[in-house]
Amino acid sequence: MLYKDAFKTAIRSLTHSKTRTILTMLGIIIGIASVIILMSIGQSAQDLILGKVQGIGSNLIIIIPGAPSNGKFSAPASEQGAIITTLQQRDVDALQREPSIQGVAALVGGQAEVVYGNNDATESFQGVTGNMFAIRNLTVGQGYPFTQSDVDSQNHVVVIGPDLATTLFGKYVNPINKTIRIKNVSFRVVGVLATGGTGAFGVDEGNIVIVPISVAQKELLGISYFSTILVQANPQYNIDFVTSRIKFELGQDHGITDPNKYDFNIETQADILSLVGSITSVLTLFLAAIASISLIVGGIGIMNIMLVAVTERTREIGLRKAVGATDKDILQQFLIESIMLTLVGGIIGIALGAAVVGLIYFIASTFTTVGWVFAFPISGVILGVSVSTLSGLIFGIYPARQAGRKNPIDALRYE
Amino acid sequence: MIDLKDLTKEYQEEDTPTQALRGITFSIEKGEFVSIMGPSGSGKSTLLHILSFLDRPTGGSYKFLGKSIDEMSDHELAQVRNKAMGFVFQSFNLLARLTVYDNVEIPLLYSDLPVAERKRRVEEAVDSVGLKEKLYVETGKLSGGQKQRIAIARALVTDPDVIFADEPTGNLDSKSGLQIMEILDALHKKGRTVVLVTHETQTAEFANRMIFIRDGLVESDKPIAKHGPVRNLK
Repeated sequence: MLYKDAFKTAIRSLTHSKTRTILTMLGIIIGIASVIILMSIGQSAQDLILGKVQGIGSNLIIIIPGAPSNGKFSAPASEQGAIITTLQQRDVDALQREPSIQGVAALVGGQAEVVYGNNDATESFQGVTGNMFAIRNLTVGQGYPFTQSDVDSQNHVVVIGPDLATTLFGKYVNPINKTIRIKNVSFRVVGVLATGGTGAFGVDEGNIVIVPISVAQKELLGISYFSTILVQANPQYNIDFVTSRIKFELGQDHGITDPNKYDFNIETQADILSLVGSITSVLTLFLAAIASISLIVGGIGIMNIMLVAVTERTREIGLRKAVGATDKDILQQFLIESIMLTLVGGIIGIALGAAVVGLIYFIASTFTTVGWVFAFPISGVILGVSVSTLSGLIFGIYPARQAGRKNPIDALRYE
Repeated sequence: MIDLKDLTKEYQEEDTPTQALRGITFSIEKGEFVSIMGPSGSGKSTLLHILSFLDRPTGGSYKFLGKSIDEMSDHELAQVRNKAMGFVFQSFNLLARLTVYDNVEIPLLYSDLPVAERKRRVEEAVDSVGLKEKLYVETGKLSGGQKQRIAIARALVTDPDVIFADEPTGNLDSKSGLQIMEILDALHKKGRTVVLVTHETQTAEFANRMIFIRDGLVESDKPIAKHGPVRNLK
């Protein structure tokens, strides 16, 4: 039998009972649509997070205290809550002398109650050096960022996030030059950040509180060490070279010669990108795996209906065999029907998935400030088409073999 | 054309062997119109299934157009059924959801004829049973007699050497039955070989030879005088 005739026969069979065909396809439609939607959400989340990480700049190197983690996925001790006091001012001074380094910024952080009048909020605060705004691309929309001289003079000044400004002052009060209290210490607001959202460091920039590091260390935390040092590499130098220089300088400073015993971690943008990339890829894969369960269920539905069709059409099979169809002809006919069923279902599923992805993007971009990225992975379409075709083949082969094996005499007698 | 020698067929029914055919020997020449008669359970349907390559014998020999069934693979049997045999069934076995055209075309789907030739043959076959105007009507909408005529057209469409008809009038009223037998008779007169299985004497008498089967054996095999010779004399 020619393929053209087999396709024509399949289309006739499928269009003969339209309701059944559509209901059978529904399982595959939902399955493929879920795969597409979840893969796209995973991809969007990945793009969003990677975009944030890229926002910190490719020449930024982050130094955090604690022994380097062996596994890629275990956080350094300092990030797991241990207090490590090894990063000190002398480290910053040493790094500042290094020609391959353009700038060094230090950071401490904690949580504190922030009060203005009757309004209060408990937020994360960061004590930073004056160059931090430039290094981290933090833009101040209203007022000005504080400077290194404010840090050196231990001035009680603060830059806050726009959401916190609204919480404390409402929409109509200008926060600039107002005095707020952080852990009962008074600070004068000098600036409000331009944008909110979650920044590359996992901090909610809309609600952040940024004060001079000297004041934070002395009056808010009572410490003398740093929790993070940010290094801006000199663009003329290779980032790996700069990293090796930092290791050398800090190692020397801390009196450690064995690289395995370093008491600090160095992360570059590339490290973070690859870590975040691998985490989100696993997440996307996981989502797709969940969605494929519905595909399997849909496939079983196809098999079930095809088995019913084979039984219903026993006499037809008998007749076709009597007039010259071989086992292979019959098998091919039923297989084409099931593949057509799943392929068309898959294409509808892709279209449905694309529509839902578009809707999610529309809702996210219209009603939220998340900065949701539209992503419609072409791999999802390829996967959708191939998986649906494959499921037609896999779940169709058993019924088709049953059909092909039917004895024509018994089939012709079948009532 | 058809040569049977000591043909046997044994079935295994619930561990008990049943001999449906116990040694059938006869030959059918090209252009003959043979009816096979017998009471139910005589083995006539089993014999027809073997004659029409739908089943294989367990013993003896069967040669069709000089070639033994034992030498042919299932694939070859299917090819012979497609090219050299036409089938007419008691219950028509038309696909109700398809048109007359599509039903008649079915055997040609398993041949290698080009589309234009297929179309010509389908139209010719339907025309030969007098239902040209029904070509694009769904067969579910036809009367019993018309359905059987379409089934005959389907049997003719491959221009077969022999037509096997299994109780072709069994589901029809006597008028439609007569029409069908007249069509088969006309086909025979044009030189086509027709093998008819029936339990109705009236139907069987359209043939020019009757083979009577009982208990899996040929009880009698004789020409039907009043049909062939008598009419010819007129």
